[in-house]
Formats: sequence, structure tokens, C-alpha cells
Amino acid sequence: MGRRKKIVQECERLMDAPENIRNIAIAAHVDHGKTTLTDNLLAGAGMIADESAGQQLAMDTEEDEQERGITIDAANVSMTHEYEDRNHLINLIDTPGHVDFGGDVTRAMRAVDGALVVVDAVEGAMPQTETVLRQALREGVKPALFINKVDRLISELQEGPEEMQQRLMGVIADVNELIRGMTEEMDELDEDWTVSVEGGTVGFGSALYKWGVSMPSMQRTGMDFGEIIDLEQADKRRELHERTPLSDVVLDMVCEHFPNPVDAQPRRIPRIWRGDAESELADTMRMVNEEGELVLMVTDIGIDPHAGEIAAGRVFSGTIEKGQDLYVSGTAGTNRVQSVGIYMGGEREEVDRVPAGNIAAVTGLKDAIAGSTVSSVEMTPFESIEHISEPVITKSVEAKSMDDLPKLIETLQQVAKEDPTIQIEINEDTGEHLISGQGELHLEVITQRIERNQGIPVNTGEPIVVYREAPQSESREVEGRSPNNHNRFYITVEPLDDDIVDTIKLGDASMDMPELERREELMKQGMDKDTAQNVEHMFNTNVFIDDTKGIQHLNETMELVIEGLEEALEDGPLAAEPVEGALIRLHDARLHEDAIHRGPAQVIPAVRRAVHNALMDAEIKLLEPIQEVRIDVPSEHMGPASGEIQGRRGRVDDMYQEGDLMVVEGIAPVDEMIGFSSDIRSATEGRASWNTENAGFRVMADNLQPEIIEEIRERKGMKLELPGQVDYF
Amino acid sequence: MLTFVGLGLYDERSITVEGRTAIADADRVFAEFYTSKLAGATVADLEAYHGVDIELRDRPDVEGDPEPILGAAESGDVVFLTAGDTMISTTHVDLRLRAADRGIETRIVHGTTAEAAAASLTGLQNYRFGKATTLPFPYAHGGDDVPASVVETIADNRDRGLHTLVYLDIKVGIGPSGPDPDHEEYMTADHAAGRLAEPLDAVGVVVARAGGPDPLVAADRLSALADRTFGEPLHLLVVPGDLHVIERDALAELAGAPGDALPDPV
Repeated sequence: MGRRKKIVQECERLMDAPENIRNIAIAAHVDHGKTTLTDNLLAGAGMIADESAGQQLAMDTEEDEQERGITIDAANVSMTHEYEDRNHLINLIDTPGHVDFGGDVTRAMRAVDGALVVVDAVEGAMPQTETVLRQALREGVKPALFINKVDRLISELQEGPEEMQQRLMGVIADVNELIRGMTEEMDELDEDWTVSVEGGTVGFGSALYKWGVSMPSMQRTGMDFGEIIDLEQADKRRELHERTPLSDVVLDMVCEHFPNPVDAQPRRIPRIWRGDAESELADTMRMVNEEGELVLMVTDIGIDPHAGEIAAGRVFSGTIEKGQDLYVSGTAGTNRVQSVGIYMGGEREEVDRVPAGNIAAVTGLKDAIAGSTVSSVEMTPFESIEHISEPVITKSVEAKSMDDLPKLIETLQQVAKEDPTIQIEINEDTGEHLISGQGELHLEVITQRIERNQGIPVNTGEPIVVYREAPQSESREVEGRSPNNHNRFYITVEPLDDDIVDTIKLGDASMDMPELERREELMKQGMDKDTAQNVEHMFNTNVFIDDTKGIQHLNETMELVIEGLEEALEDGPLAAEPVEGALIRLHDARLHEDAIHRGPAQVIPAVRRAVHNALMDAEIKLLEPIQEVRIDVPSEHMGPASGEIQGRRGRVDDMYQEGDLMVVEGIAPVDEMIGFSSDIRSATEGRASWNTENAGFRVMADNLQPEIIEEIRERKGMKLELPGQVDYF
Repeated sequence: MLTFVGLGLYDERSITVEGRTAIADADRVFAEFYTSKLAGATVADLEAYHGVDIELRDRPDVEGDPEPILGAAESGDVVFLTAGDTMISTTHVDLRLRAADRGIETRIVHGTTAEAAAASLTGLQNYRFGKATTLPFPYAHGGDDVPASVVETIADNRDRGLHTLVYLDIKVGIGPSGPDPDHEEYMTADHAAGRLAEPLDAVGVVVARAGGPDPLVAADRLSALADRTFGEPLHLLVVPGDLHVIERDALAELAGAPGDALPDPV
């Protein structure tokens, strides 16, 4: 029997004892060494050869990942580890660190209970460190810290024990400050989640040279920092690895400090599921009951060349087995499970069954997308996995050969299924499809994969920034008439408070939640009671209020009203870009007696026109996406570096010294940031490292508005002049 | 001058003599058939019969951009044709108001309507009809059930002992997935009876091809009507309220209602 087979068997045996299971994610700022660390753990568990750890990047299974040297998709693996004479099953997800792939990180966090945050000892906590911590804590996932690349402190920076200690304590303090800020409002938490050396929740080491230490490991092996510095300086890294291997230190920490599903689920279920807390289902999920109804949360959709589409996710209750007929949230009917398995490295191993508390790989769930709730009974779905950043960049994709058209459409739909932060717009008439995502790199990777993996040659357009339209003031009351003039709607528009917009973006207030809870949440964010009571619909970040009373037939017309509203908001009046942050009120309506004279052809245009006119009257403006930019650069290149921000309609907010580098921080519009990587490289002779993070949308300067609006209208083939003045009030 | 002329119920010969004269005297003749149509005649039949060119207008033309019609009526004699009567089920009062607003003189030439035919053919008394309603295709009202207002209208009428005339949806030029010039769909009475039988299994009276040479009238329980077929369009449906003794006799004698299906007369 092969070693691999043995591990699979051991995993299967351990799956039934949730106390011995740890579901964890490794997350970090880009290039801080997550994937290398993961390789160490795999080697430690005997799944790849010891020597190849560090070079193999076993988790980066896509060709482009190995080429680019970064992780793009979250990858799953299961392994076993013996700690205090008990064997543990560790299900691990390696996540991407690059900001463009943040959606993968958020989804991975739903599946796990603990997050090992990796921070580079030299660079310290970086913007993405904060982001991944926030993503973990939002999902109720417990953090621990591993400080990587400590070898560089010793060998490159030549730091002595004291300097080193100071630096490491600084990193820990920074991380703890972030954790403290983020856990303040987590009422369900009855313990302190900040990390500490004494508590054993901090590890140090070098993933590259495969050694690591923690307080408990130092006590066990008797090695202290002095000895480590000596060995590292003497280049005896192999001895260091043998005496205090990284994988043991980290996996011990995982077993000791991360909660098992039985501890974690009672706390996490109320956070991620809003169904009836008193129900039997809630109980089986809290108790990780493998005899209960099956509940699986899909966090990832992958493609296997042989097995087809694979849904991976966390089993919260029950046991998933081949042949089960399961409901998939948001779709009708059931899907039959064709196979179940667990992940070993990049590969899937089929097993007979996967019980509650584990991460399963399932085939046959053809209706599932990343974020679906899959269950053996119909149930309230889990909270949607909201990734906070919205798409900011769009690119057109066109098949070079007409014959590939159907296949391209299928592939694009698949891409959106796998990665919900991607949005696609299929245009069968022109064959020019639009794909929107988190950044230039994100789209580049996706389009390359279409060409390479699917073998579909494509032409892509220049990347285009995604805009928004938002009202700036309160409109007068506008009348919208149906074409037959028998139906009239009286509507006003006003801007929504930013707090409410943020709440909606985070998914904390939505139409999916019980009315009472939604009303309370909206009132907490400052909406007045009458308004909050009359919320009829929410669309993107817009809220529709029905302030009418007792209008006959309005009830059965409401669906059409909402259709008209959504059409108006999807394509705003300025440049057919999505409208955000609008509060739309319906004050009154006059309807025809007979259903046939208030059908879709009448109601939809009436409402759409009224909403657009009201938005124009509310001084609607174009918003553009902006990014926060941070550049680390030697002081002699600081001028050109800050010039790169200022020259892009940007603003430099701060410049300060950190170590031997200068840090420049500021913001700039995404549109201007296209092509930034090559420009900053040449401006600083390649000496700058930088990081950008999407920071929402901002009203564009007044003097640029007309020009950009005209540009977009022209690109979209719309009439160049704006819709005329509002006809009637 | 804008003259609204109702074409009556069935074919090119259903028009009144007054209507025919109005067409003959007109400078231009417009027509719309999206609200209803003549089951027994095409536009070509009409043109041949009257010896004129008819300019067909669809819904967006009439409702969204009536300018060409009004412009022509400002300077000449224009006739606007619809099946039935132009102001009863087809509600063209908006066009008339717009004309009046521009100082255009308007006139109505009546046509026979489904409303009249429903009473005459079934023997149900015109005095005892309540509010009328239309049963739309499921895709045309944004839900897949019977709209509440339809059920309510019938129920309210019946509470007061009144009959309900149920118009049946027609869709021309627009289909389930939006505008479609080739789409032509007429709801049949058996389909309507089937959908209404669910919330209310009362007696129904089918009227098919009113105004034509072989009109059909059939009364039975809605659930029984749902299993029959009634031939070519157009169809309409009446849901009777309380029956006067002579109405009951009419339904039994003229509409072939099985004796046990009808309620006792009031």
C-alpha cells in the first residue's frame, strides 16, 4: 500500500472524530510566504518529499501560478498530525495574498475555524495583512500568527538578539492592535483573541529554510534565540531544520490553539446563518451532528478534467454520501451527488462519505456556485459570502473564431460560477462579452486561463474602468406615466447615508433577512422608523420605499414596478452605469382598473422613466473607483515615486520613514492606475515595491464629468446628449 | 377631424353603414389590432372591401408616438379603426384627449362590442352585469397565478348577485420574452376556465366567435369547460351571479347547460 493511500485511510478514520479535526486557512499579504509555509506542512506530513518543500509550491497547481510565483486560487489539502499522542486531521486551505484575488480568501474563511496569518518579519504587517485578518474575524475565524523570514533578520540585516526581539515584538503589537479593533464588537466571543508568545499563539521561523520555533517548542527542544542565531549565521540551516522543524511547530500550534468544529460551530453558526435558532437544524449544526440532516456550504467550485465540476465546501451537519439528492439554495429541484472526496495536495481522493466538521469535495452538484447552501431539506441559506470589494475593471472578450462562440459563453459562465467576484455580461448579438473583476491582474489571469486551459483563442479589449452613478441631493416629486397614460407613479429620489450603503454592501441588511431584523439594522444605521418600515425592495445599494397607503391593485402591480425600478438602476440616466446609494420613494400611484391595461408594457416604462427623471433632478453624478496606493522606496527615488501618484490625478496623503525605506501613501483613480506597474518600475529603476487596494467609489471632479460621460455614451453607442429636462413634476 | 370608428365584432361586414361612410370620406385611415382583432377578416380584406389603404399602427406608435396620426387629423379627415368599439375594451380615450388638447375635432362611430354580444348571446341580462375584468397570460402580469384583482372582481360581483364578463388576453407583436413581430396568441376559453376553476369552481358561460356566422355559447361548471374545446378565436367567458328564472332557462336552452350544473333561480 502506497504512503498516500495510507494517509487517505488515516484521514477517513479521523473524519468521524470532530474533536480531532482542525479546519484552517493560511492567509497573508502577497509574498509573505504562505505557499512555501504550506509546502513545509505537506512535507512534514509526508505528502511531498522533504527536499522539495520550498521549491515545489505544491499548492500552486495552475501553470500560471507557478510561473507568476503567486497563488491565485485558494487550494485545499488534508493531512494528519500527531500531537500529545493523538492523531489529528488537519484540513488546510492556502489562499491568495494578491489584492485582486481577495474574493477567494473571503470564501475560504467560511470553510475554516482558524486562520494562520503569516507576516514577513522584515516588512511587518502590511495592508493585505489587515484585510485578511478582517476577513477572518468577520467570519468568526480565530487567528494565530506566524512570523516568517526571520532568517533575513539574522543573515541580511545582521540583527542581534535584542534588535530582533524588538522588531518581532513590534510586529506582534501591530497585529494585536488590528485584532483588538476588529474583535471589539464580537459579543459572542468569551476569550481574548489577541496573539502572544507566552500563550503559544505566535510562531517564528523561516519557511524557506524550513525551521521554526515557538515558546512551547523552545521549552521542548531547549533551543533559544541565541542558539538559532548561531546556527543560522554558521549556515547550519539543515541542522536547524532537523532540530526544530517548522512543520511540527506550526502543526502543534494548530492542534493546540485552533478550535475544533465542536468548539467552533456553536459560536459560528449564529454568525453565518440567520435561520430559526430554536429549530432542530440549528441544533444539529451547532452540535456537528453527523446523524442530522446534511448541510454543506460550498466555498469553491473547481474543474477536474475527468470528473468535471467539483464543489468544495464545509459540511456543517449530517454526512454527505454518493447518491444523495440535495437541494441547492436559489435553484429549484435537487441535484444528485455523484461522488464525494477529500483533497490531498492538488488532487482529489474519492472516499465513501464525509461527515460533519470536514471539508468535502463533491461532484454532481451542477446547480451549485461558490456560496451555495446545499442541504437534504429545504432551509434558510447561509449568509451570502460577501466579498467587500466590487468589480472595478471591465474588459471585452471575443472569440477569434466564430466556431468557439458557444464554448466561450459556457466557459465565461463557468468562470463566474467559480469566482463570484467576477461578473460577466454575455452579448449574443455582438459576440463581444464583458468580464469585470478586481483589477488588471485578475482579468489578465482569467483571460489567459480561457485561452490556455480551454484552448479558445480570444481577442480582448483594453481594460475599462467600471463607473457608478449616484444622486447628490433630494429630488422634487416626479410623475411617471405609462404609454397609455392610464397609470401614473409619483416618485422622489434622495441620497442614502454612507453608513447605510456600507451596511448593504456588507450584506448586513438585505431582503433575504427577516423583516424585523432588517428594519432594526437600518434604523441602527440612522434610517428613520417610518422609512425603515416601508422598505419594499433593495437592489444593489439602492433602497425602494413604498410610502403609499391602500392603493387598489398596487400589490399585484408591485412586481412590475420593481422590474422597472431595477432596469432604471442597472443602467443609470447619465451613462448607463449602475446607480448606487439612492433611496427611491413611491408616494402615490394611479392604476387602471383592469390588469391588462397595467401590464409590463405600461408599468415598466412608466417607472423607469420616473426613476430616471427623479435621479436627474437629484443632481446625479458619475462616480469612479479609486485605489489606496502604498509605495515603499529608497529615499533617493521618493520624488519620482510620489510623482507617479500625483501625475495620475492622485493625492499623496503621507510620507514617512520605515526602516531604511521611505513609505509614500495616497490615493488615485483606478482608471489612471492602469499601467502603473511598468511606470513605477521605470520611474524608480525597479527599486520600489508597492501595494494597491480598491477603496470604493468617489464622485468624479465636476470639470471631468461631461467629457467622461460623453466618452462612455459614445463607447456604448448611446445618444450623445443627456436625457432632456424633467417634463413634469 | 379625427373619427374613431368601431369595426364591430367579426369581419369586414360587421361595421355600421355610418362607419363605412366615414372611411370612404377619410383622407387617411389608421388602424390598430393589438388590443383586439376581427377573427373573420384580414387587413387586406378590409382594404379590398372599403377600397382604401389602411395604415397599421402598433402599441408604441399609438401610445408612445401618436404624432403622425394627430398631425394628419389636424389638416385632414382621419379615421382611426379598432375592432369592437374604440372606447369600450380598447380604451383609446387617451388618444381622443390628446387630440382635443390640440384643438382637433373628434367624433365616435360606434361598433358592436363584446360587452353587448355577451348579453345578447347568453340571454344573461345586461342590467345584471357587474364590473368586467381581463384574464392576462401569466407572463403578461409578472406572476404565474391568476391576478388577485381578477378573482376579487368576480367574487365581489357574485356577492352582489351580478354576472362578470371576463375578457381573455390576446398578445400580438409581443411574446413571453419581449417584442416579437411574429407573435400572435389568443387565450382560449377552456384555458381560462381551467385557471379560474382553481380559485372558484362556479358555472361559466363560454362565448366563441361572437358576431360570426357560427357563434358558440356553452355553459357548464368551469372545471368541465376546461376539458372541452371551442374552436377558433376569439373567445370570452362569463361567470354568472344569481340567475333569474328566465336567465336559467336561457342557459339551459341556448347554452346547453346540464340541468344539475345550474343553481336554482332566485
